[in-house]
Amino acid sequence: MQKLYVHPLPVRIWHWINALGFVALILTGVQIRYVDLFDVISFKNAIQLHNWIGFALVGNFFVWFFFYLFSDKIRVYHPELSPMKHFRGSLRQIQYYGYGIFRGDPNPHHVSAYRKFNPLQSMTYQIIMLLLVPLQFFTGVLLWDLKHFSGAVEFFGGVRVVDTVHVLLFIFFTAFILVHPYLASLAHTPLAHFKAMITGYEEVDEESAGKPPAARSPE
Amino acid sequence: MDLPDGGTLSLHVAGDAYAKSVHKANGCGSCHADVDIKSHPPSRRDIKSARQYSIEQAGACRQCHEDAFKLHEGSVHAMRQREGNPVAPVCTGCHGSHAITPKTAYETCVGCHAAALDAHRKWLPNAGLHHEVVSCAACHAPAVLRMIDLRLYDPVAKQWVAEKEGQAQFEKLARSLDADGKGLDPEEMRNLLAAINPIGMPRKTLRGRVELRTNVEAHQLSGKADAIRACDSCHRAGAEPFRNVTVSVTGPDGRSVRYRAQDSVLKAPLAMVALPEFYAIGGTRSQLLDILFVLVLLGGAAVPIGHITVRLLARKLLKRRAGGDPRDKPPARDK
Repeated sequence: MQKLYVHPLPVRIWHWINALGFVALILTGVQIRYVDLFDVISFKNAIQLHNWIGFALVGNFFVWFFFYLFSDKIRVYHPELSPMKHFRGSLRQIQYYGYGIFRGDPNPHHVSAYRKFNPLQSMTYQIIMLLLVPLQFFTGVLLWDLKHFSGAVEFFGGVRVVDTVHVLLFIFFTAFILVHPYLASLAHTPLAHFKAMITGYEEVDEESAGKPPAARSPE
Repeated sequence: MDLPDGGTLSLHVAGDAYAKSVHKANGCGSCHADVDIKSHPPSRRDIKSARQYSIEQAGACRQCHEDAFKLHEGSVHAMRQREGNPVAPVCTGCHGSHAITPKTAYETCVGCHAAALDAHRKWLPNAGLHHEVVSCAACHAPAVLRMIDLRLYDPVAKQWVAEKEGQAQFEKLARSLDADGKGLDPEEMRNLLAAINPIGMPRKTLRGRVELRTNVEAHQLSGKADAIRACDSCHRAGAEPFRNVTVSVTGPDGRSVRYRAQDSVLKAPLAMVALPEFYAIGGTRSQLLDILFVLVLLGGAAVPIGHITVRLLARKLLKRRAGGDPRDKPPARDK
């Protein structure tokens, strides 16, 4: 096994703050929405906590955003421009998760410093980080002060529309938080990816680590 | 008219204002029964102060508004008056005298309690919005039952829709759409809005407010120490105000014309179409989204559990078949 520096420090800081923050937002969100079922903290405290954490994560998002914007690491988020190539890669990855992994087949994707995402992750994270997370923050900010943002709320169809989008995304991120750690445990050891997100170094086999990026492409 | 306490009492009654008031049909004598037109004006009136006159004249209001008067007697305003507070309002303090028109409680209350909004901002999140959509009495008359009033609003004119004299048809329309007479259901509510909004015309919407079920009970105001401060008295599923719903429009005389709606109109998926501008955390919670949340929770737990179970079973099977451990194969990496 060879160690490969894949997760730069700003990304690791962003990741763990974001992870803890999203868990806290989900828990306070559940308390706010289901105050008749759960009574861990008061409604008002849950709202205030939810707001503070939300704003902290908006700031944290910009750590991620500006790091990638001004770093060559942004290549990890570059989309695959050939739809056919992307489709084949995704299909291969789906086949691995749904069948190959049970047979003990190797993961068709090989990590490198500039290709840390497999085709499925690449597409998913582009949608999440550039669409869903900003949309969740945007709707959250609108709901934080409805009177101040009444013009924008009206423009987007009314408070019920804004809130419904916020709740649908809350449901999506709840599912994400449940599934993400499991998928992260599917490395050569269950904790390998977790350690990598702390140290920055992924353990890769010698063969794939030594290949140039083009040759390591799963496609 | 000069008064013994040094103050004055205007004897002029603005005719136009009175003609627009809710008492326009009553005539002077209905409130001033003690005046004999033959000997008017009297050579002497025993009015010590304008304040004393207002307190005495409250008896005239009581003749017709006994129910409101009794409730007011138990209110913080009446208590302060009995204690001798010189500015504690009697009837005319809130309603005026000759130009009595329907006003929102908010306009009336902040006439004296001008610092109320700033005081609420110190502890109430979104205080400005709460002041817009919750009537003062909804929290400051805690013993009274509340409701959600969905009032027709014109976003273009930025004002509540008011029916004109002789053209009032809102209640008739609502009644005609209410097939079972149990109040408008979500579909009937949507149909009502469709009937109100002809295609191609600027759309009128419904905006919700927390009001008291009867305006008379607004007289039962308590001291601020007893006011409702618990957020979850509204922001929880099934909260009391959200169990009673009306749809309304401002009538030709300025008073609300209301028609009953079922509480399902607040939570149904159709509310996205009929009530996009009214949402209150908890109170209008969509059951459809609740079901989706539970399914996602179950699914989110089932995916890892199911996948890891199949992995373990497959590993055992392969091991048994091959007589070796498939974990010896090259490592997998995902997250």
